[in-house]
Amino acid sequence: AAAASAATTEFDFKAYMGERAVAVNRALDAAVPAGEPPAALHDAMRYALLAGGKRVRPALCLAACAVVGGPEPWAMPAAAAVEMVHTMSLVHDDLPCMDDDDLRRGKPTCHVVYGEPIAVLAGDALLSLSFHHMASVGSYPPDVDPEKHPARVVRAIGELARCIGSEGLVAGQVVDLEMTGTSETVPLERLEYIHLHKTAALLEASVVIGAIIGGGTDEQIERLRKYARSIGLLFQVVDDILDVTKSSEELGKTAGKDLASDKTTYPKLLGLEKSREFAEELLSDAVEQLACFDKEKAAPLLHLANYIAHRQN
Amino acid sequence: APAASASFDLRRYWTSLIADVESELDAAMPMQPPESIHSAMRYAVLPGAGKEGAAKRAPPVLCVAACELLGAPRAAALPAAAALEMLHAASLVHDDLPCFDAAPTRRGRPSTHAAYGTDMAVLAGDALFPLAYTHVISHTPCPDPVPHAVLMRVLAELARAVGSTGMAAGQFLDLAGATALGEAEVMQVLTKKFGEMAECSAACGAMLGGARPDEEAALRRYGRTIGVLYELVDDIRSASGNGKMRSNASVLRSLGMDRALGIVEELKAQAKTEADRFSDKYGDRVLPLYSFVDYAVERGFELQDAAATL
Repeated sequence: AAAASAATTEFDFKAYMGERAVAVNRALDAAVPAGEPPAALHDAMRYALLAGGKRVRPALCLAACAVVGGPEPWAMPAAAAVEMVHTMSLVHDDLPCMDDDDLRRGKPTCHVVYGEPIAVLAGDALLSLSFHHMASVGSYPPDVDPEKHPARVVRAIGELARCIGSEGLVAGQVVDLEMTGTSETVPLERLEYIHLHKTAALLEASVVIGAIIGGGTDEQIERLRKYARSIGLLFQVVDDILDVTKSSEELGKTAGKDLASDKTTYPKLLGLEKSREFAEELLSDAVEQLACFDKEKAAPLLHLANYIAHRQN
Repeated sequence: APAASASFDLRRYWTSLIADVESELDAAMPMQPPESIHSAMRYAVLPGAGKEGAAKRAPPVLCVAACELLGAPRAAALPAAAALEMLHAASLVHDDLPCFDAAPTRRGRPSTHAAYGTDMAVLAGDALFPLAYTHVISHTPCPDPVPHAVLMRVLAELARAVGSTGMAAGQFLDLAGATALGEAEVMQVLTKKFGEMAECSAACGAMLGGARPDEEAALRRYGRTIGVLYELVDDIRSASGNGKMRSNASVLRSLGMDRALGIVEELKAQAKTEADRFSDKYGDRVLPLYSFVDYAVERGFELQDAAATL
């Protein structure tokens, strides 16, 4: 037990994330068909997908698989899939007819480099690839349980599809769109609806599908779902705080954009101090859900929650 | 070739099947908050009123016909048939966008972005893709008669068909102007843009119906061939009238009418050869597939009229 707690305190989060990012990038690179035509479409997909980023969603997926006792490689196809979906939503979100952003992760956005129609198509193709990658037998290591694995994969795909569709991610984008451009302030519950859908839904999917593939029980899956929803909302609250406290250079994207566009944010509704308090509340809600898991196995999820709460960009 | 082909009533078969698919789609997309997006999704997928309102629903017909050929129940294939329509509609909504084909109308009424705005059209497409997978998973009778491993293959097949080596590749090539080049490029665009989706439709029906590997392979070839055939005939028919899309007119310009008609005959013969493989084992059950080939070429009836008499 002493060794276990020592291991927990000495958990090297930076190394953990670095190793996962390398493995995820390798999986993403291999998943986009290389050498198959049309080369320019695959280039655009690769450009958007391999632009960097910390791979927080894949890491959550892998960590959720591990926390329920599943081998991490089983969840790698799902981890790659959630990053593809995330990238796709950014590519479409940045389009001139949507948020009209020129800069993403410090680089010109996909439509700036490849043109609008290719960016629409590259996004669609990434979305298809995410489901194709998850549903293909060949994506998984040979040691998966041939009896239980297909049912888990089907359930996980259903979960991912539900979380990103018109009742999840897209619902958040729609309500966000409808709020943008109106001069009135968005009430708190509306703001929470937007973020629970626009941001938290994909984090929820990342965690839940990792746990499903890893063979988690229904009770474990539901606890992890609560954990994910808390850190999902937390992610956005922190994002709002960073937007008013950091520069574009520090963020790698346009800072102060929320203020410039008169967008409703947590700092605007609650003030900066109360927003920070809310963030701490969400963090402790999330951490509470991890109590029933093995401490050592839960260390990555614990540190991921802390990282999301205290990140600087 | 089955002599009874002429006596088989494809119109009746198709019409009853479309009614099943329409009600499956209607139930799959209930109006719920946020209403704007669900309304846009329904608009993109469900038929409108009016002369050109009825959709032809060729992908679901291929899917269900392949499944029923093997003697499996229609219920096994209907959710996948509806999913095919959602994926197809999602691609068309994005294809019509101002930055893409800039098509102001589709099936004789304003296209989705013209009716709901460009941003909502982007999102309606983005939501229809995942809804297709959700629908297949929640409605296909699984694990009996469709095992999870088969459902997994169906999901992979659906995602492949609309992906970067399938329909999206065709859209990309079309966008890049490939239909203005030679016959090989034109056929490549038609195969990717229309053949892949039709192959996927037949392949899903085959898998859900429990096809043997050789049967699945034959149904794939049949589907791919008839997808290209169907579209090429559409292009020929619209060449004299108003071309719907950029590709329509340029396909005919590139091939020339004589060569286009020659290719139609080749494809028709190929598709019938594939369908014939099943006539010994399955007898009259091959008739829907067989008569579908003739319909693709001759268009002996209008589905709007068929729907009106229903």
